[in-house]
Amino acid sequence: MPVLNDPATVSEIASLHDAYERALAANDIPALNGAFWDSPHVVRFGVHEQLYGAEEIAAFRQNSAPVFTERTLVRRQITTFGADHANVMCEATQRVGGRWRTNRQTQVWVRFPDCGWRIVAAHVSAGPAAMPPQGEAALQWVDAASAAVRLTVPPDLREPVAQQLLRIESIVGPLLAFNLPDGVEPPAVFTP
Amino acid sequence: MNTLFHELGAAEIASGVASGRWTARAVAEAALDRLGSTHSRLNAFTLVTSQRALAEADAVDAALADGRPAGPLAGVPYSVKNLFDLAGEVTLAGSRIQASAGPAGADATAVRRLSAAGAVCLGAVNMGEYAYDFVTENAHVGATRNPHDGARSAGGSSGGSAASVAAGVVPLSLGTDTNGSIRVPSSLCGTWGLKPTYGRLSRAGAFPFVGSLDHIGPFARSVRDLALCYDVMQGPDDQDPVCTGRPAEPVSATLERGLEGLRLGVLGSYFTPDAGGPAERAVQRVATALGATRVVELPHVEAARAAAFAITACEGGQLHLPRLRTRLREFDPAARDRLIAGALLPASHYLQAQRFRCWWRDVVRSFFRDVDVLLAPATPVAATRIGQETMRVRGSEVLVRPNLGVYTQPISFLGLPVVAAPVPESDGVLPIAVQLIGAPWSEGVLLRVARVLEAQGVCASPVVLRN
Repeated sequence: MPVLNDPATVSEIASLHDAYERALAANDIPALNGAFWDSPHVVRFGVHEQLYGAEEIAAFRQNSAPVFTERTLVRRQITTFGADHANVMCEATQRVGGRWRTNRQTQVWVRFPDCGWRIVAAHVSAGPAAMPPQGEAALQWVDAASAAVRLTVPPDLREPVAQQLLRIESIVGPLLAFNLPDGVEPPAVFTP
Repeated sequence: MNTLFHELGAAEIASGVASGRWTARAVAEAALDRLGSTHSRLNAFTLVTSQRALAEADAVDAALADGRPAGPLAGVPYSVKNLFDLAGEVTLAGSRIQASAGPAGADATAVRRLSAAGAVCLGAVNMGEYAYDFVTENAHVGATRNPHDGARSAGGSSGGSAASVAAGVVPLSLGTDTNGSIRVPSSLCGTWGLKPTYGRLSRAGAFPFVGSLDHIGPFARSVRDLALCYDVMQGPDDQDPVCTGRPAEPVSATLERGLEGLRLGVLGSYFTPDAGGPAERAVQRVATALGATRVVELPHVEAARAAAFAITACEGGQLHLPRLRTRLREFDPAARDRLIAGALLPASHYLQAQRFRCWWRDVVRSFFRDVDVLLAPATPVAATRIGQETMRVRGSEVLVRPNLGVYTQPISFLGLPVVAAPVPESDGVLPIAVQLIGAPWSEGVLLRVARVLEAQGVCASPVVLRN
């Protein structure tokens, strides 16, 4: 029976997965390809595609641009079996087309004597629409503020509006943090 | 008569009409003809005012026959973004909701001034709903297609204006710019565009979006035409409280003065486009042609963009609040959720943004003591595909819609005048524009610089209509 979750092995896989996530965010195609086993036996199921063999995976990377932004890992479980086998299962939230979505990723890693750790099988799927971490506070804000301005926000629009508020918050951050000198007045009618 | 009217500029048409070389009627008929034959390709026009156009053309011809002097735009056809009031027509502002409003009682001030100069109104053109987009992908009438490539966006929100000019349907169009809506479509369609100083041109009779940031301005295929249209529209107007009381300061007579005495610079830091990309190439070509080597780095530009964003969200949301309460489901969903969110923002965001605006205005004014014209890209990329959601900027994937205006938004925030100077298409590379940015009320200087670029062949706006 191989050793389950040997700490050194878990740590190694965590670093490799961190590097993979960085490569994803940067669309670093050589790094992404390098993580996968260079073999006709490797398989990757993406959200919209089924790819068999390293060549198909590399061709896919070359010909497609990633559509997500602001990917954040929410939960990751690494399970290692002995020193040469590991699974990574993780959940992330990311923005696709302006909407937050959950994303699920499975990776099966094997350590090869000649080239070290490689992904031998992977599967990515999209989950339902999600709220990002600050979501609950934003929803409460929508409820309270819409009542204050007497604007009914129907149930199906609560989350999309909350997501827009979060987006606005992230953009206006630099303004809100800015220390203006005392005594600057807003204009009555702006003159350039 | 075999004259290809659609290849002529406004000044040429007016000159030909004034001299009797051709009639205003012939020009109007040819323009209406071209409008009809290009409509399914462009989807630019939402209203064709053929009766009005022919009546206006006939009136120009009759006045000339009577011995009265021709106006500076005699017989020149033009289009207006469909947020400008046209007497007797319903002003749509890109929406479905406004379709149930009553017709406008009178022309918008700018339209009235064009008419008085002899120009002929062909109709109203498509825009992003309530001006809240940079791509003119209108949920109700569809996207306006770029004349350079029918699968690509014309930019927004004045996409119909840029497309109708670039494709040679009209030599002039009126649009509006709040955070980039004249400069972005000029860039994507390869036309000249002018966003004057905030308050320079009356916005009376134009459906508002963000009172603190709205400007109106012309599109054209030559600097001379841009200047001509701008001069005709200038002048105080009590009906727009923001419109300056400064008398008109015509610029057409000084276009050929060249660069003498002018100090030019290139905006760096925030405004530095991706290395090796089309925006960088365009700025470099323009900078080289003008001998602009100095790099100017404005501070706090991210905060400025954030402030423009906050003001837009707050004022836009507040403007539409009554309609959000009663006609919520009739909004374009892409605009609706953003407008609701804007209406829910706290007052502190808005006031901080307005205070910052006054403070930053003074900071940037000090830079203009040492420089007259600053260069920056108009857009980070050339025309994106219709429906495209993300694009690569600064090494990461970002949403197309808000980020097309990343370079325009901080500049219009201060109400500085800008000419969008198109670097034309070549070898299959799409056009893209460069912003020529000046101190307030320096439109004459900017147009002089634009004329130099045009004379050198660095910037141009030929008629284009590809598949």
